[in-house]
Amino acid sequence: MSAAMNRALPLLAAPVAFFIAFFAVPMIVVVSSSLMAGGVPSLGNYARVLLDQYHWDVLAATFRIAGLTTVACALLGYPLAYYLVRVVKSAALRRTCVILLVLPLFTSNIVRSFGWMVLLGRNGLVNDALVGVGILDRPMRFLGTELGIVIGLVYILLPFIVLAVGNALAAVDPALEDASSDLGATPFDTFRTVTFPLCLPGLMSGIVMVFTLAVSAYVTPALLSGGKITVFPMLIFQQYSTVFDVNYGGALSMTLLVMTLVLVGLAGWIGNAGATGRKAQ
Amino acid sequence: MTRTRAATRTVSRFAALSAVLAAGVSLYALPAAAQGEIRVAWYGGNWGEAFRTCVAEPFTKATGVRVVPEIGTSTVTFAKLQQQKDAPTLDVAYMDGGISEMAQAAGVLDAIDPTGVPNLAKALPEAIYKADGSIFAAGSGYYSLGLTYNTKEIKTPPTSWNDLWKPEFADTVTIPSPANSSGVPFVMFLNRMWGNPPGDLSKTFEKLKTLKTALYFDSSGAASNAYQSGEAIIGAHFNVGAWDLADKGLPIGFVVPKEGVWATDARLHLVKNAPHKADAQRFIDTALTPEASACLAEKLYLGPAVQGVSVSSDVERKLPWGVGGSVKNLKLFNWADINRDRAAITDAWNRELARQ
Repeated sequence: MSAAMNRALPLLAAPVAFFIAFFAVPMIVVVSSSLMAGGVPSLGNYARVLLDQYHWDVLAATFRIAGLTTVACALLGYPLAYYLVRVVKSAALRRTCVILLVLPLFTSNIVRSFGWMVLLGRNGLVNDALVGVGILDRPMRFLGTELGIVIGLVYILLPFIVLAVGNALAAVDPALEDASSDLGATPFDTFRTVTFPLCLPGLMSGIVMVFTLAVSAYVTPALLSGGKITVFPMLIFQQYSTVFDVNYGGALSMTLLVMTLVLVGLAGWIGNAGATGRKAQ
Repeated sequence: MTRTRAATRTVSRFAALSAVLAAGVSLYALPAAAQGEIRVAWYGGNWGEAFRTCVAEPFTKATGVRVVPEIGTSTVTFAKLQQQKDAPTLDVAYMDGGISEMAQAAGVLDAIDPTGVPNLAKALPEAIYKADGSIFAAGSGYYSLGLTYNTKEIKTPPTSWNDLWKPEFADTVTIPSPANSSGVPFVMFLNRMWGNPPGDLSKTFEKLKTLKTALYFDSSGAASNAYQSGEAIIGAHFNVGAWDLADKGLPIGFVVPKEGVWATDARLHLVKNAPHKADAQRFIDTALTPEASACLAEKLYLGPAVQGVSVSSDVERKLPWGVGGSVKNLKLFNWADINRDRAAITDAWNRELARQ
């Protein structure tokens, strides 16, 4: 055991060093700068953030946008993953679909958000189509609305949930579903009581990934909001890049981090409680 | 036990390997350093390309000294200079007005000495920036934020910033947000234009609230995108970006309104304790030649900051001060004032305008 440990240590050294250098140190720098005001240790930056209703409004908008994005991603991503894993029989076709799904991830976020700016504009393809088909009388405003930001974020984050759910679905043993239908369950009952609960961990991890990425997204909201809606990462970016107040910026960053961790932890706790409750039945 | 020894051996092998690698790297680095090179921080995209063609290449041709570019925005360059304060690797840094003053205050800049940079004598007096009696920056070309419009949608060119409030332009206007370097100065520019007191921007924000915008742009690219797609048909844009769109065949016009334009410049800085100070001074000297300025004017429409620059009439009308203008027509604000009010104006903007 100790010999194995000794062999493992040098192998671990690289990732640990990487983690310390690129995660722990920057985090410590941000935390310590957030606790300084005017050159002396102080909680003043946090008071400035937390005692101001404006910041709570922005935080609420940020979580509302991230929440809607997560719900939309889950509703769109789950059926898509199910289709890819269960319905598509040809391995080649499935591989093509997965490549098509992942391909946009190779393009920069900025380019894709600019693309959406063009598509969602007053004279953009989306409005042209909606007006052309007769759904709308005149172009609808997408840019500068929360809906526009959610559309852009869903497009960017959908692959994460599809891959997470797809992996979980592929790992479900089909024998369990066969056993369920042998015992007389309808296909819907089998899905509800066997398949869905078994891939719930995959769905949950996808949801957490999408939610945290949506909360911390800067580029997409900055471009698609047209500067008319503010999300928390935009406030942080302003402080670091144009106002140069790293102390206040640090306090904003830590506030967002802690609030997000609390929400994700809460979701995990509710999920666990639900799972335990079901087992107890 | 044997495993432990194997592990130790592996580790020492790693150590030996890295020592060899390090030696190889330093051997490789030596000849390059002997030939002479300087590191210059400049911007990305067509700006960096223009600095390379107009300044770096003539400099290398004349001196044999290689120029290694470090690409980054002014803000990033300033951050680098602060980090390498004790042992700088950069020799020369291009930074915009505003950041330039911050770098000076942070003590990362060296004085530019006219004896080492004789071409300083040719620079416009406005383009020489002094603090405590010594020169900390030299202007390398002006750019302005002017009135930009879609020539297909708007037949009569606008003449005033107040035209943005005309009802026919509702929901098609764009102006910079404070996330853009021109955002805060533009608010101060409007404040002064309307004759509101310098210390009280409340009236200006009241008026801005009534402006029906399509978007507030945070980057020059976002502005170009908005004009290109027709999302915005009138508003503010930099002369550099607006004429770039027009040159690509888009129906975009740029005018200097009767109230004038706010402008700033890209500036050259000598880094404090620069490793190759003599070559760095020669680089700055090359950048201050009329030839380099004319080249930058042709490529980016930067308004020359040195005397005796001649450009074609087509380039001349695209310069930041417009037809028949000069640096005297630009509203060059004191960046110290802008930097002082930056946090307050950004905060006010967030609360007044950047929410539905």
